[in-house]
Amino acid sequence: MDAHHWQNLVVAVLVSGAVVAWLRARRSDLWRDAGRQVVKRRPLACSVVAFYSVLALADAVSWKSDDPDCAGLSQHKPRSVIDRAFRCDFQERSYSAPLADREFYGGNELTFPGLHPMGTDIRGRDVLHLALKGARIALLIGGFTSLIVIPLALFFGISAGYFGGRVDDAVFFVISVLSSIPGLLLLIALIMVLGHGALQVCIAMGITSWVGFSRVVRGETFKLRELEYVQAARALGVSEFKIIWRHIVPNLMHLVVITFVLLFSGLVLSEAILAWLGIGIDGSWGQMIDMARDELSRDPIIWWNLAAASIALFGLILAVNFVGDAVRDVLDPKTLREDA
Amino acid sequence: MLAYVIRRMAYGFVTVLGVLALLFFLFFLYATPDEMARRSLGEKAPPQAIHDWVVKHGYDKPAWSWSDPKESQLYNHYHSMLTFNFGTSDADDSLIAPQIRKRMIPSLVLTLPLFFTGITLGIVFALFVAYFRDTYIDRMGVVIAVLAMSVSVLLYIIGGQYLIGKLLRWFPISGFDPDPALIARFMALPWAIGLLSGLGESVRFYRTVFIEETSRDYVRTARAKGCGDGRVMGAHVLRNAMIPILTRVVVSIPFLFMGSLLLESFFGIPGLGSMMVDAIQGNDFSTLRVMVFISSLLFIGGQIATDISYTLADPRVRLD
Amino acid sequence: MRIRRVRLAWVAWIASSALLLSCSNNPYPGADDTVKVRYGALPSAPKTLDPAVTYSSLEHKITANVYETLLEYHYLKRPYTLMPGLAQAVPEARPLGDGRVAYRFDVRPGMLFQDDPCFELGEVGRRTREILASDFAFQLMRIGDPEIPSQVVQTFSKLDGFSQFRERLKQLRESEEGFAELRIDLQYRRAGPIEGIRVDGDTGLELVLSEVYPQLLYWFAMPFTAPVPWEAVVYYDGKEGRDFFRDHPVSSGPFKIAEYDRFFRIVMVRNENWYGVRHPEWKAPGTVYPSSGEPGDAAAGLLDPDYVGRSLPLLDRIEYRIEKESIPYFNKFLQGYYDAAGIIRESFDKVVQQGRLSSEMKARGMRLEKSVDPAISYLGFNMNDAVVGTPGGDKARKLRQAMSLAVDAEEYKRIFINGRGILAQTPIPPGLFGYDPDYRNPYRTPDLDAARKLLEEAGYTGGIDPETGEPLHLTFDIGDASTRTRVTYGFFIDAWAELGLDVELAATNYNQFREKVKKGSYQIFTWGWIADYPDPENFLFLLWGPMAQATSLGPNTANFDHPRFNELFLEMKDRPNDVRRIALIREMREILERERPWIELLHSESYALYHGWLKNLKPAGLSLPQAKYMDIDAGLRAAQRVEWNDPIVWPAWAVTGIGIAIVIPGILTFLRERQ
Repeated sequence: MDAHHWQNLVVAVLVSGAVVAWLRARRSDLWRDAGRQVVKRRPLACSVVAFYSVLALADAVSWKSDDPDCAGLSQHKPRSVIDRAFRCDFQERSYSAPLADREFYGGNELTFPGLHPMGTDIRGRDVLHLALKGARIALLIGGFTSLIVIPLALFFGISAGYFGGRVDDAVFFVISVLSSIPGLLLLIALIMVLGHGALQVCIAMGITSWVGFSRVVRGETFKLRELEYVQAARALGVSEFKIIWRHIVPNLMHLVVITFVLLFSGLVLSEAILAWLGIGIDGSWGQMIDMARDELSRDPIIWWNLAAASIALFGLILAVNFVGDAVRDVLDPKTLREDA
Repeated sequence: MLAYVIRRMAYGFVTVLGVLALLFFLFFLYATPDEMARRSLGEKAPPQAIHDWVVKHGYDKPAWSWSDPKESQLYNHYHSMLTFNFGTSDADDSLIAPQIRKRMIPSLVLTLPLFFTGITLGIVFALFVAYFRDTYIDRMGVVIAVLAMSVSVLLYIIGGQYLIGKLLRWFPISGFDPDPALIARFMALPWAIGLLSGLGESVRFYRTVFIEETSRDYVRTARAKGCGDGRVMGAHVLRNAMIPILTRVVVSIPFLFMGSLLLESFFGIPGLGSMMVDAIQGNDFSTLRVMVFISSLLFIGGQIATDISYTLADPRVRLD
Repeated sequence: MRIRRVRLAWVAWIASSALLLSCSNNPYPGADDTVKVRYGALPSAPKTLDPAVTYSSLEHKITANVYETLLEYHYLKRPYTLMPGLAQAVPEARPLGDGRVAYRFDVRPGMLFQDDPCFELGEVGRRTREILASDFAFQLMRIGDPEIPSQVVQTFSKLDGFSQFRERLKQLRESEEGFAELRIDLQYRRAGPIEGIRVDGDTGLELVLSEVYPQLLYWFAMPFTAPVPWEAVVYYDGKEGRDFFRDHPVSSGPFKIAEYDRFFRIVMVRNENWYGVRHPEWKAPGTVYPSSGEPGDAAAGLLDPDYVGRSLPLLDRIEYRIEKESIPYFNKFLQGYYDAAGIIRESFDKVVQQGRLSSEMKARGMRLEKSVDPAISYLGFNMNDAVVGTPGGDKARKLRQAMSLAVDAEEYKRIFINGRGILAQTPIPPGLFGYDPDYRNPYRTPDLDAARKLLEEAGYTGGIDPETGEPLHLTFDIGDASTRTRVTYGFFIDAWAELGLDVELAATNYNQFREKVKKGSYQIFTWGWIADYPDPENFLFLLWGPMAQATSLGPNTANFDHPRFNELFLEMKDRPNDVRRIALIREMREILERERPWIELLHSESYALYHGWLKNLKPAGLSLPQAKYMDIDAGLRAAQRVEWNDPIVWPAWAVTGIGIAIVIPGILTFLRERQ
């Protein structure tokens, strides 16, 4: 299976997971109410996040088909819904300004004059197309990494908090070792070891980000374990696994949701820094910004690349931050502060 | 108290051992000594020179040997780190320790003022916003803070250099000079950008803390007793919010010494941050290892200091 | 209380406006409008200044101006021509009859090293001493020292007894107790002498080579062979607060190091002990501004009568700063704080438009000089690979030919490197013997139809691999994962995609790339080569079988091993530049044309972009001691800097105003609500 396929698969799993979670949450009054409140507080931000998700989704579903426009390799490559919104081989030879009909340098005529709303990049690729495709990468970074972080943090946090003693000591040791190393450095070191590529970057980010959340889970589990009904269940001889699954995990779910939202923007932003160091993910906005920083000193300057990528990035992060604030306020005003 | 500090230190030491193990594992897995040698010596280096380099740097030794532990890389790793004998760089064979001492100064010049003004401004703005809570100043303050923290640091730097350095020509675009009379001129732009990029996040954080405090009973009591608003915010709220503030502040101390990777690289400041970038890009593991080790030490030390400072900041906290 | 607050605000207001009004973007302290200071930048810190080790052009920017050599290249003449430096004359080869050749250098008498405390080692109170023939011999022995990672050992192994010396030195250090602690020159004396290096009195240096190697002389124009006093190596051992020798050159050249902080600033000043300064009456070729050059030099202002025949050096001081990011560097150049922008990357369109200086820049007095580098960049195939290499037989050859036809180097040059370079048809760059300006490689003229046809003949119709039914999948490995590189090399991916080939760009970091090369698990790669010396042998050996990466870790990364080519190379290697040599090179060229181990891209061009106040700059692809020929019009520079850097202050007031406008109504509202 090539890279394209597994990325598709990940997004598909993520989406179906989200749908299932949503369906289940609807059955609970608490969650349904919380959801409503979040949307009510930040309707615009919520719809922006939804829009980005739809974009990412649209770019994740791809298939091969015969398109008369396609030539060369592109006839044999799968194209996503977003790709299909643009013409096949929608490419010029080099830079062109938004809606221009000539190349920016040299003034050669374009193949598709006036059709690139955000211009084209150095290789002549349509910038709007690239910026839209970046949504999938961002979702991949935030979403896939969270998929690694959350189970990891829950597993270690709950086992430490619930069983205590040796287990707790061991987990706490791992947590303190990992959190003693500056996050960015550990991240870079891990990527150097694991190698480049989307999967590797996500795994490295996962390994470096689960610690903080795990600490919170551990603390909460301590409290939950002491609750009367959990103690009662234990006295009745209910198996440990069942207690955790029935009584502990559901009570941690609000923390999971908050963490997911709060983690997301941090991850996407740190990918931009990785891109600057040359270890980012291909096609990310971070990479577009990194490339564009050279273009700013061109004169007349080439601003459309930087503008497209940063607006796309800023829009998503801003919306997610607002939604994150709202989610936290609604679900839990106390337990979690966004401390380092 | 003393017993606690000793226990805390002992645990800190064990954590350091763990950090070292992790570092060894990471870099040992990755390092390919032949290629590091080639990188250090140059593309045209003859095979013999490469072999000599590998031997000289001890990369030919086994990872661990039961029969002769002193002749293993793991032993050397622990020994050199714990005795602070950092050895030489893999990239150019220069000594690492004097290099770090020398380059720490520009980093501190960059980060110390940034650190203190960052905290002060963060707290002042947050107090201001919290004082006007639920007015449009508060709402706008939060919106601006969130806006500010949603912009990538890269953009702040690129934009700042372009706008202030190139278009408005207020300060040098980049550069550094150890001359105290000139430092401010070079640092003005990185300071401003560093401040701006971090402020949004910290204002928002401190605001949450303060607002949580103002909703407590004692604040209401104080108000009821006729305490002025300014006094309540300044004396009571600020003092009681010390613990979350301290935690946050102390945790960021290691970054003071490590400088800022991005700021130093973009502004040509010859500090530890740009040294780290060099090490990353040059696959200089021995330097990278030392830097990570030192920052972990600082972090662990900082945590111990936080725990102790809790007692000083808040008499309700007792250590035992 | 209230009054005090208002007063405070006023103080802050005045202070901040004073700061703004006094601000300046000039990064330099002190007065440089009377002293001739040249400002330059390096993209990264030099690793070492030990002349036996420095190899990169970056390091040579320092060492070539600090270490003077026996021979030098003429500053203006092209093709590069040797002339005497510290030697009296360029020596002639003297065959010894048994296949060996001898060269004799006569060192000029009465030249001094720079003043340095290290010379106290030889004689108390002494600050300098004469440069002797033995200092050259000492440096050659240092190249042979196994402890010193010199990359040119192989070249000098042609000296009689050189390798044996290296071996003896190693053995003595290992076996004899206390030997390694001996003073370094005594160690060499014990392990020596080297038969091929004979010191004759104070000024005679005789070298004997075991084989004919006319290229030897070029090496004596590079810092490797500069004289090094043993005192410096012994004294600068890094102990008791002293530097290491590699950080502390002891100069024999026109400049000496005044400050060396390699991550921040490197300052060189005039060396008053340089023979050109002490003996201007000698009129030695390396100490006066040349009176002739290549055609066009006069038009470029390089033969200004004000300068011709003047004693060098002309500058007082050279300051190099480390500028890692190219954008701030270039912007500071535009503001006048750097005299020249050494390497032009794609961000420099403002000044260069279609290869010429833009009118705006011309108006500012800027100058642009171009010269073709003795260098080549290419895409290579791993000839050991089953699909693209020799094992693939005729099918693979046609695939390589087709891929070569699809790559439009002209377009690549235009888009990615601003047209800086000339298209390469063979490995040999212009200016070297064997370069044929009229030759057009038929496989380097882009032709997609012909390429498609060749692919069809190779069995990959439309790029489809018949075995899988999918487009043929190949990997293109690069050892640099930066965004810029990825986007740039995507150009070739796009070109091959037009043929229907599915080439994957595997961008890893350098280590991982080298690891792949070592294992032989790569198909397509890209590489470049810069001449060590101007001879075709230095390029064609990159494709010589015995230099293959797979068998000998040599620089033949394509692992090209063609029996006929190897044979021709051996014959061509040491021949004088005659008709037979041309014929041999022609035949080699034909083999490369057909076999396509490389897709030749470009011979890059150096663009030197500099301000009007910098005089006498001529770009060079080789590392020459250029600084001594350059001059600065400091008054002009000071005037233009002031003119270009007037700060614009009003936005500061505007921003402050907006801030106040936002906050005040809020406070008012709040206060009103409270009441």
